[in-house]
Amino acid sequence: MTNQIREQMSALLDGELPPDEVGLLVRRLERDAGLRKAFGNYVLAGESLRAPGAIMASPGFAARVGAAIGDDVVPVAPRQAAPGREPLRWRRPLAATAVAAGAALAAVLLVRPGTDQGARLAANGSAAAVATLASLPAGGSSPTLAQNQRLASYLVAHGQYASPLGRRNLWSSALAADTGITRVAYEIVEGP
Amino acid sequence: MRRSLAVLATLAVAVATPQARATPDEAREWLQRMTESLASRNYDGLFTHTSGNQSETMRIVHRVEEGRSVERLVSLDGSGREIVRTAGEVHFYMPDRRVVIVEPRSDDGSLLKALPAPGPRLDSLYTLSIREGKKLLGREVRVVDIRPRDAYRYGYRLWLDEETAMPLRSIVVGNDGQAVEQIHFARLETDGKIDRHELEPAVDATGFQWIRAGKRAEPRAAVAVLGWRPLKMPPGFQLVASRLQVMPGVPMPVQHLIFSDGFASVSVFIEPGPPTGPAPPEFTSMGSANAFSTRIQGHVVTAVGEVPAATVRDIATSVAPVQAEVPSAEAPTAEVPTADVER
Repeated sequence: MTNQIREQMSALLDGELPPDEVGLLVRRLERDAGLRKAFGNYVLAGESLRAPGAIMASPGFAARVGAAIGDDVVPVAPRQAAPGREPLRWRRPLAATAVAAGAALAAVLLVRPGTDQGARLAANGSAAAVATLASLPAGGSSPTLAQNQRLASYLVAHGQYASPLGRRNLWSSALAADTGITRVAYEIVEGP
Repeated sequence: MRRSLAVLATLAVAVATPQARATPDEAREWLQRMTESLASRNYDGLFTHTSGNQSETMRIVHRVEEGRSVERLVSLDGSGREIVRTAGEVHFYMPDRRVVIVEPRSDDGSLLKALPAPGPRLDSLYTLSIREGKKLLGREVRVVDIRPRDAYRYGYRLWLDEETAMPLRSIVVGNDGQAVEQIHFARLETDGKIDRHELEPAVDATGFQWIRAGKRAEPRAAVAVLGWRPLKMPPGFQLVASRLQVMPGVPMPVQHLIFSDGFASVSVFIEPGPPTGPAPPEFTSMGSANAFSTRIQGHVVTAVGEVPAATVRDIATSVAPVQAEVPSAEAPTAEVPTADVER
């Protein structure tokens, strides 16, 4: 990959690539699988600091960074929490924050990678129970090819009835499904 | 005269107190504008899709042809997968699997009218607000926050282009306040001329396995699956469409129910399955989409939607046959269409 291509990719992601060069680069990406892969690594490297999962690395860290750069963080959802449930919090995604604090956040990521799968849900209909989603151990538990195809069919079918925004989100997820699909185990954990 | 005064008074309030304009009504109007723009404008954009620690760059091309939208969504740096929505079908190209899934397009006639629209009932389910935001892609933006009032749905933050209401950035927020998925445009051109060839797939699908879903089944052909309904739906979700369809790999027609709360939607698929055999996977998570499958009375029930995992679980596990709606006198005598698999 030449420096020129690298610079074009960087400019593209920054929204600064001239339109005539954008078209050429996109067509080149569509034709060249090797370049697509390289671009993927490039994007991932650039985006990892801004990945939503990053803000799960350390909520306290996020708040400190937000305060340090004067971010207007943490609007709170005006809802009434059901008894025994945690109230919803609406934290500002830390994209800009993460970039501003790049080095420090990278250190957190190195210590605690892949923390995004520990989603915690309020269990419906039971104030005492908390449903916890956790990743299954790797190997042996992935959906089969047929199951993945079935799911892909369902996503395509469902997307046709979603709002245009919902469809874009759903189908984007389907395109990224091989890396994004996570089969998760479900267990009920007694809450406090 | 009284009416004129009332109008003047309203205008005076609106002008004198700019804060008051940022009402749920205004936010809803912007959502409506966004929905219309996404469906009716020509556009060509590049965006990053981020979920968890995964990020991919994708291109979306959308063109309106004789009142119908056609579009192409392609992963530029990952699997090379593409989804192309033509005038009559949706093609999902998976070059990594050498498979193409083909679905008939469904947004015709009354179904189009049934598409989710941000109506007034949204206020009982979400808190809407709108404010000015910092420029994105050199454009003035409005930021719309959509905060759920309960744990059955996600929240959203949308950055809408002031001029076109196109979303330049969007974040889906989970119940724990974490970003579940983010889409961020690096480039977006609107209302330009989109050449037809831009909607053609870059994938050479020669030799791929084409899995073509059958056309919609006649109701009599699938009487065995009629009358199934979730008995417990989260507040605000209403049935907006129902159809029977042959899905790839499923010998019997599948009942497909679509529910919407006016913003998010959930599909429930009920397919007659073998009473024995391996259990389907339970939770599956893909970006902001969650799916939950379970087996109920010899059927495999799957709920899929852009809602939290607990919501699809609750819906799927509450599905049961509704006896009163099953026309027992009509046996399924019609020929059952089948899914085509081509090579």
